[in-house]
Amino acid sequence: MAMKLRDLIRKVRACKTAAEERAVIAKESAMIRTAIREEQEHYRHRNVAKLLFMHMLGYPTHFGQLECMKLIASPHFPEKRIGYLGMMLLLSEEADVLMLATNSLKNDMNSQNKFISGLALCTIGNLATADMSRDLAPEVDKHLKSGMPYLRKKANLAMARCLTKCPDMVEDFVDRVVTLLKDKNHGVLITVVQLMTQVLMIDLKNAEEEGENPFETDCRKAFLRLVPMLVKMLRNLLSSGYSPEYDVAGISDPFLQVQLLTLLRLLGTKNEKASEEMNDVLAQVATNTESSKNAGNAILYECVQTIMGIESEDGLRVLAVNILGRFLLNRDNNIRYVALNTLSRCIKEQQETIDGSVPTESANTASAALQKHRNTVVDCLKDPDISIRQRALELIYYMVNQENVEALTAELLNYLVLCPREHRSDICTRILRVVERFSPDDRWRVDTLITMLTIAGREASREVQSAAVIYISRSGDDIHAYATHKLLKAIRDDDGSQRGLLVVGIWCVGEYGDHLLSPYSYTPSPGPGETMNGAPVSITFMALDPLSVVQAVETVTKRHSCPDYIKERALTCFAKLCDRFANKGDAAALTLLQNLIKQHEVSHSLELQLRACEYDALVNATKGIKTVVKKPEAEPDLFGVTDNGNTGEGVSASVINAAKEALSRMPVVDLKVLDKKREEAFGDIPMPKAKLAAPAPAGSGDLLDLNDMFGGTAAPAPAQNGGAEAPKSDLDLLTDIFAASSVAPVAPVGGGGGYDPFGAAGPVAAMPAPTNPLDIFGAPPTISATMPVPPAVGNPLDIFGAPPAAVPMATPVSIPMAPMMDAPAPAANASVVVPGFTHEGLTIEFECSKPDIWNKQSSELIAKCTNASSDAMYGFNLQCAVPKYVTMEMEPPTSTTIPVTGMNTAKVVTQKIKVTNSQLGTKNLMLKLKVSFTLQGRKIEHLATCGGFPAGEY
Amino acid sequence: MAISFLLMVNKQGQTRLSSYYEWISLIERNALESEIIRKCLSRSEFQCSFVEYRGYKVVYRRYASLFFIVGTKLSKDGNDNPENELGLLEFIHNLVETMDKWAGSICELDIMYSLELIHFLLDEMVQNGHIVESNKMNVLRPLDLMERESQKAESIYR
Repeated sequence: MAMKLRDLIRKVRACKTAAEERAVIAKESAMIRTAIREEQEHYRHRNVAKLLFMHMLGYPTHFGQLECMKLIASPHFPEKRIGYLGMMLLLSEEADVLMLATNSLKNDMNSQNKFISGLALCTIGNLATADMSRDLAPEVDKHLKSGMPYLRKKANLAMARCLTKCPDMVEDFVDRVVTLLKDKNHGVLITVVQLMTQVLMIDLKNAEEEGENPFETDCRKAFLRLVPMLVKMLRNLLSSGYSPEYDVAGISDPFLQVQLLTLLRLLGTKNEKASEEMNDVLAQVATNTESSKNAGNAILYECVQTIMGIESEDGLRVLAVNILGRFLLNRDNNIRYVALNTLSRCIKEQQETIDGSVPTESANTASAALQKHRNTVVDCLKDPDISIRQRALELIYYMVNQENVEALTAELLNYLVLCPREHRSDICTRILRVVERFSPDDRWRVDTLITMLTIAGREASREVQSAAVIYISRSGDDIHAYATHKLLKAIRDDDGSQRGLLVVGIWCVGEYGDHLLSPYSYTPSPGPGETMNGAPVSITFMALDPLSVVQAVETVTKRHSCPDYIKERALTCFAKLCDRFANKGDAAALTLLQNLIKQHEVSHSLELQLRACEYDALVNATKGIKTVVKKPEAEPDLFGVTDNGNTGEGVSASVINAAKEALSRMPVVDLKVLDKKREEAFGDIPMPKAKLAAPAPAGSGDLLDLNDMFGGTAAPAPAQNGGAEAPKSDLDLLTDIFAASSVAPVAPVGGGGGYDPFGAAGPVAAMPAPTNPLDIFGAPPTISATMPVPPAVGNPLDIFGAPPAAVPMATPVSIPMAPMMDAPAPAANASVVVPGFTHEGLTIEFECSKPDIWNKQSSELIAKCTNASSDAMYGFNLQCAVPKYVTMEMEPPTSTTIPVTGMNTAKVVTQKIKVTNSQLGTKNLMLKLKVSFTLQGRKIEHLATCGGFPAGEY
Repeated sequence: MAISFLLMVNKQGQTRLSSYYEWISLIERNALESEIIRKCLSRSEFQCSFVEYRGYKVVYRRYASLFFIVGTKLSKDGNDNPENELGLLEFIHNLVETMDKWAGSICELDIMYSLELIHFLLDEMVQNGHIVESNKMNVLRPLDLMERESQKAESIYR
């Protein structure tokens, strides 16, 4: 004796733990299976009802599918009813047993009992397959003409389902709808309108597949003839007054109205005549609908979408935008959300059409109307609901144009202060885009960027920082002075956390430090449109003395939290300041500068040490003093290079000039570089590693040579970490700038002979423990005659000794800067992409890089998963095995769900794997991969071997 | 375009009724339901009733301890013909009112214990994700008649 459904529910409710519940269900499932096996007809109906409950709880119920089939064949109504319900809930469209139901469905549709035919129609509407649709469509069609509205409405939707499954049948049914539209019953009307909507969408798809004009098909033409009828129906609904049957909050049948408006939108799209026919009624809906209740707002919302979607009159569009404006003022968050969403969709579509063709009158009018609601949208930025704020932000980006850029950017900056930290980076990038496109003048642009960095320097991406530097350097001297003064002030006020600001600020102070020594004042001239209250406010900065400038930057570097990359920038800044302040008569500042540089000669960071030593040499060279690096006491004098100690002898004038040029102001970066960077960052086109991104106008003499030379020095560095063939080079632009500046002046030197030693600098750098580099070079000690070469550990100045004496002196002084500056960048960024495998739509690629330039054995693999199937993959799990000589560390994946790549919000799922190959050079890295995931309910496992890593490098 | 699924879930995250108008496998259903309810529960009443999740636009409304959740598919290429969110919200209310009229005053336990009856009611209102009928009387009258028909054989089949 099986228990009743009620008892089962009670039993399940009494369970205290999930395990207990599972046990109850398992027991009951077993009972049901037994009952099925023993053909207990009497309980069939009850068992299927219980299966429905278990299915809802998420337990498997596939064994009950056949029982449903048996139930629907029963002559008793209650059994049939539950059988059909079970079918609709338990069976998928793909289930084979569904075929068995075709005959029962046919019989039931012909039943005299309207409820039985109704059940059959409902079932067809919910799960008819293509085959069933073909077989049953004639029966469904009979019911379209049925005398009972109860069956007509169900038949409409059943037909809609049949047509979606068999699109080729569409044409035969077009004329049926005319009579149905004359129906009095709202249920029939709403379903027939939905049927028409479906048919139109199917038709659109058919036409596209067959390459016809989708707006000229027979079906659409037939429907277009019905537009006056639809319009009349909508008008009747509006004017019918109170009809208690379908009234919702004083509005007659809002559901039908919404569906009608949707259908009208489809018909009016790209059709002048139909649009004209519906213009009046749309205006009527827009003006007469009560907007105090949600039902009314739903209609207004649909109406606005229709107005925007069809070829409507300008006046109507303005009306629609105004309705949205009213929505924005509404206190209900739902309505504001809808309004913001619709507005940004409209404006996006408009911009697309404007971009594609000549701007039309109507588009301009609507966006002008939209601009009136600017303040309302801006107010939404202050809403407590974050989803409203995000939508408003989205909309504001679209609204910005030349006229309102200043006001809106100010609002964006305000929001930047308030918004959660994780959104800041994104907003910064967006502000940068706005500033790039619409900036009225250089000063405003620079001003905005600096303000942005002051607020969110911590979160601003490197791209934003680089862009700020470029825009500052591109503007005139006046702006240079202004920006530098402003940035120095900002740096002083900052507590050291806005690192983006520090990077940009320190660069500017170094580059334009001389401007700081003179006072700066600027009086903005009132613009033609502005009304000035009282006297214009002028901006004044006092002149600073060199010492205080240097101290300001020093304070930044002395902070405990100051990261190395800022110290690196600061060193460059100090070196440049030595040049800028050279003739200002402030010896104390100059001494301080050199001391600051020298301090880092003993830094633990190799990069800092390198920079410090080189800059010191450079600065000394400008003064005509040869750099002498003291030999460490413990180091044996391997090559008999004797240190002359304090040599007082000077260097030649050409060296002094070259050094001075190296420190002098750098050439302006071409904007093309920025664009190119962006292309590289966003496009997937593999690009050759173009090192010399910045064209250097200063060294205009021989650009090609410069290219060669640069290529020659740069190539070995990435080669040794296997990154030479990396498709993307996301080098920091700042690095490029510095590199370009240091090399540009030497361009005329250009000879070929002296570069090999620098090329060899790479391997030195890669040595885990840098010993005396001279070992490798085996350079003859006599070279020290040209420049004393002290055997300092790891000091790249050593390699100065390598070039043959014939090379002009200027080369060694400045060229080493190039590899030195560039080395860290490719190490961090250059990478190889190795395909893993592709299985069931899942593709895994490994992006390999060497995180640590000094340790070639360790590498970092980032597994990138892309999903080319039609559904998301769940429960993604990647396991890796490596040979004994490799050690491995795996981090968890960023997500275990891989969305379909290319979808709206899809992010690439990645997983980081760190490997160390202890036998690098003799044996290659191999990976054995085991991946498992669930796709469309199937559990998929796959094994693969991946050995495509570049030989000798991984 | 149409409704993809309709859920009734209580505050503890237990599903009390689910109806899917497109096939989703059992495992995915469970994941979907639990994540959506978690999202809905974490929102305050001052926030709007729309959530976008896994390619669905989810519209929810809370009645006492029960959440009524309706999901519609977002079209893949973005924006054409999105479902009217406010209309769906209104439909949820219509459904609740109809259930209220049917059972006097509907509560969570009513829904739970008369699972199949609520499904029958829903089938009168929604078919394949489209609205069939929004008039309460037109929904309830046939239901009532059918119920009477079933009662005749009740003693044997229940």
